Amino acid sequence: MLFSLSNPEVAILMMGIFLFAVLLGFPIAFTLMAMGIGFGYYAYFDPVLMDHIFDNRIFSLFVQNTYTVMDNNVLTAVPLFLFMGYLVERAGIVAKLFFAIRLAAHRLPASMAVAALITCTLFSTATGIIGAVVTLMGLLAWPAMVKAGYDKKFASGIICAGGCLGILIPPSIMLIVYSVIAQLSPLRLFAAAIFPGLMLAGLYIAYAVTRAWLNPSLAPRPPAEDIPPRTEILKEVLVSFVPLFGLIMLVLGTILAGIATPAEAAAAGAFGAILLSWFYKTLKWQNFKESVFLTAKTTAMIMWLFIGSWTFSSVFSYLGGHEVFEHFFTSINITTWQFLVITQIIIFLLGWPLEWTEILIIFVPIFLPLLEVFNVNPYFFAMLIALNLQTSFLTPPMAMSAYYLKGVQKTNVELLEIFKGIMPFLGIVIFGMFLMYMFPGIALWLPEVLFAD
Amino acid sequence: EPQQKKAAVAKQETVTLKMQAAWPSGANIFFEMAGDYCKMVEQMSGGTLKIDLQPVGAIVKTSEIGEAVSSGVVDMGHWVTAYWYGKNAAASLFGTGPSYGMSSQEVMGWMEYGGGRALYEEAVKSVGYNYTGFFAMPMPAQPFGWFKKNVTQVSDVKGMKYRTVGLATNVLTAMGMVVRQLPGGEIQPAMKTGLIDAAEFNNPTSDSQFGMQDVSKHYHLGSFHQSQEMFEIPMNTKRLNSLSPAHQAILKNAAYAANSDNYFKALVRYSKDLVKLMNEHKVNVYQTSDAILAEQLKGWDKIVGEFSAKDAFFKKVVDSQKAYAKRTMKYLLMNQPNYKLAYENEFGPIADVKI
Amino acid sequence: MEAFIKFADTLSTSMGKAFSWCIVILMGGTCYEVVMAYVFNSPTLWNFDFSMQMYGAILMMSGAYCLATEAHVRGDVIYRLFSQKTQAWIDLVLYFIFFFPGVVALAFYGYEYAAQAWKIKETSWSSPAQIQIYMVKSMIPAAGILLIIQGISEVLRSILCIKFGKWPSRMVVAEETEQILMRTSQEDDKKNVI
Ligand code: NA
Ligand code: NA
Repeated sequence: MLFSLSNPEVAILMMGIFLFAVLLGFPIAFTLMAMGIGFGYYAYFDPVLMDHIFDNRIFSLFVQNTYTVMDNNVLTAVPLFLFMGYLVERAGIVAKLFFAIRLAAHRLPASMAVAALITCTLFSTATGIIGAVVTLMGLLAWPAMVKAGYDKKFASGIICAGGCLGILIPPSIMLIVYSVIAQLSPLRLFAAAIFPGLMLAGLYIAYAVTRAWLNPSLAPRPPAEDIPPRTEILKEVLVSFVPLFGLIMLVLGTILAGIATPAEAAAAGAFGAILLSWFYKTLKWQNFKESVFLTAKTTAMIMWLFIGSWTFSSVFSYLGGHEVFEHFFTSINITTWQFLVITQIIIFLLGWPLEWTEILIIFVPIFLPLLEVFNVNPYFFAMLIALNLQTSFLTPPMAMSAYYLKGVQKTNVELLEIFKGIMPFLGIVIFGMFLMYMFPGIALWLPEVLFAD
Repeated sequence: EPQQKKAAVAKQETVTLKMQAAWPSGANIFFEMAGDYCKMVEQMSGGTLKIDLQPVGAIVKTSEIGEAVSSGVVDMGHWVTAYWYGKNAAASLFGTGPSYGMSSQEVMGWMEYGGGRALYEEAVKSVGYNYTGFFAMPMPAQPFGWFKKNVTQVSDVKGMKYRTVGLATNVLTAMGMVVRQLPGGEIQPAMKTGLIDAAEFNNPTSDSQFGMQDVSKHYHLGSFHQSQEMFEIPMNTKRLNSLSPAHQAILKNAAYAANSDNYFKALVRYSKDLVKLMNEHKVNVYQTSDAILAEQLKGWDKIVGEFSAKDAFFKKVVDSQKAYAKRTMKYLLMNQPNYKLAYENEFGPIADVKI
Repeated sequence: MEAFIKFADTLSTSMGKAFSWCIVILMGGTCYEVVMAYVFNSPTLWNFDFSMQMYGAILMMSGAYCLATEAHVRGDVIYRLFSQKTQAWIDLVLYFIFFFPGVVALAFYGYEYAAQAWKIKETSWSSPAQIQIYMVKSMIPAAGILLIIQGISEVLRSILCIKFGKWPSRMVVAEETEQILMRTSQEDDKKNVI
């Protein structure tokens, strides 16, 4: 025995060393692999069964786990949705949407902010990743707002928060990954995420409008002479919105109407994205080729994390690590409400140094067995986490969303200004989680209607 | 040190084995049955042999259990042989193959006394597995399952998207059904959303634990697609041989004990859940029509013929089963009175009996 | 050293790029399945396994490509604050402790795993179509070997960085939209300055 530690103690040691090792900055997939193999070698060390020192069962387990990641029919949807997202973000649709909606919304306070948020929301229904949205909007909407006299902090917050909606509103790579980790139906997760996603977008819009209404100097109204006649606005809106709406229907409609699996809808969506870019005359060989290469790269990035983490968690669970957590949480005698608050605070804190992939693949599995203990609906819990992970893009030091915006507006905005602008949106996300806790139907109503009698 | 070892043997040191089941924990009767076996082993050994039972996915996924046991990643598994039919189609025959009149009980008899075990061991070896198998739980025939309506004709099911596993996929494909593979938890939502039109899992208890009654009200009992099956409990051979003779005997004989207990429990629970399905959930329960059963048997003949033609080992196994079935079932079926007659004598026509 | 780095990077990226195209096949196959299933009511028996194999090929064969293009995520909150030389030292040591044991195991034990599948001509357990799976299983050792080669290249890169105090440049295959935009907007900024 390792320094006469019991197996569960070794499991805790393994988790501790892993947390430290992550901070060394080595690619996490391989850090997990190393921890899994190293501690697995210890866990499975048994002279009776070993012919020589390399004859340890951990190696078989590792290879088997690798194949298990390859042999997963739900995960096939991931490259397809990624492909669709890459094609759409190169189709030039964001600019068209933003300018059309901005005209249509001109009567509202903070009309450009509202337009930016609606554009982000619509675009979120066609892509399951972020990054592109923040940078595209950061190049289009941010300068437009600032030029019109909007407060920089206010404009930055809008872009950063709005740009992250794509990971929550289906189709979402995050929810597919979650469905595999928690063994939930991806269709139900998609259905469950629609209203929380729209609620969050709605709260953002309400916030923008209210603040501009209370303090018009934050977001001055556009001069009347800039507004084209109504028919022209309508035409702009139709040209930009209808093809995208078709694509959304193709993907989300088919999934939620129960006609297709996520992978089938994603394949149809990717094909639809090709048609869409053909329609907008942005279908270039270069774009297509890059979308193909990026799809493979991002797929591999996510899936190698799976390979590492399944080996890690197999060993962790073999050593009895999960039972330690279960035992700890049941022994401290907390209520369901307290359990939810504690887990969400942990996820929130993990979102500072880490990104959603690592949090989901490595840490969420630890909480999942506890849901039954505390009698928490797994879909409800999933939605709390999905909302919570929005903050992982927004909280420093690893606030990817802020970095993307800073990246495209290097000399025009300070990182600190962006963070100040983001703060209210962090509050809104937490308020959104509170609302969902009070009214779980926001998440659970739609799947109930769609999937049960 | 040798002295120490002797002392340890003398006081029978406590051994803990890891078992991974193919079933989820929580409300799942198969997981419960795996647990019953583990409990028996512990009791029989006076607590010196313990089995740490893990649910599906805890260490490896379903399809990897055989490899995990062989390499010793876990010491034992709890699943069915149909789960390794991709490695050798004959695997399905050691659990859920053609009936030839046999129920699970007789297939298990063939395994132990009809030459089945030698063939089974050959099959295990042929796919590179390194384990010794115990068997338990003579499953009642698996229902044809859940449909959108009462299906009676073969034409009713032609082109229908249906979920099953093992050689049954080939049989029902041969019958003109479009067989799709879905993980257990996906069956119910897939059915609700029209991804599949029909599905089977295993029995009234498991099926209702999966929530099938929420998506279909037409349940068809009695089918030849999986008219017999039992759990396979693979045990890493090297690990088995490292145990004391007493422990080895306990692992083997506890499987026999679990075999009876599982079956008794199944009958009580399956029938209770059938009552629940009919009365609480208003599920219509039918017996699969003779027309469909006959077509299933034709499907089996076709599939067995095809596999036998291209795979000599498959043929050898089927021939052995046929020879065993021909003799034993002649006795059993001729000797067996028509039990239904006695039932109906007391309770009236079976279709009308309210339970 | 530079020659080997160039060789490894080229090998990894070209394998990654070649197998990337499986996404188009995956999309095509699945669209075909959709049409057959929902228009002609006769879904295929093969697409279920086929689509998993295409996806498996993408992820396995792009592992080294990801490494060559620095796409594997790092928890770099602290790491990125270090000097490049310190980063190189950390990487150099951790490649030997964290990286090579795993990928060598992948190549070696993956080979045994795949060889067994070839020996019994293993087919998918989940489909009546008897789709062979020994070929996709071969991608496990193949990915291991590619990762070993790319790992050596990364070690050499660290050594170069320790020597010259600066990370050697990497080849760029395809950039994320955000990276292109951040890079080009930076170029615009520079133009403005001049
Ligand atoms: Na989305
Ligand atoms: Na079944």
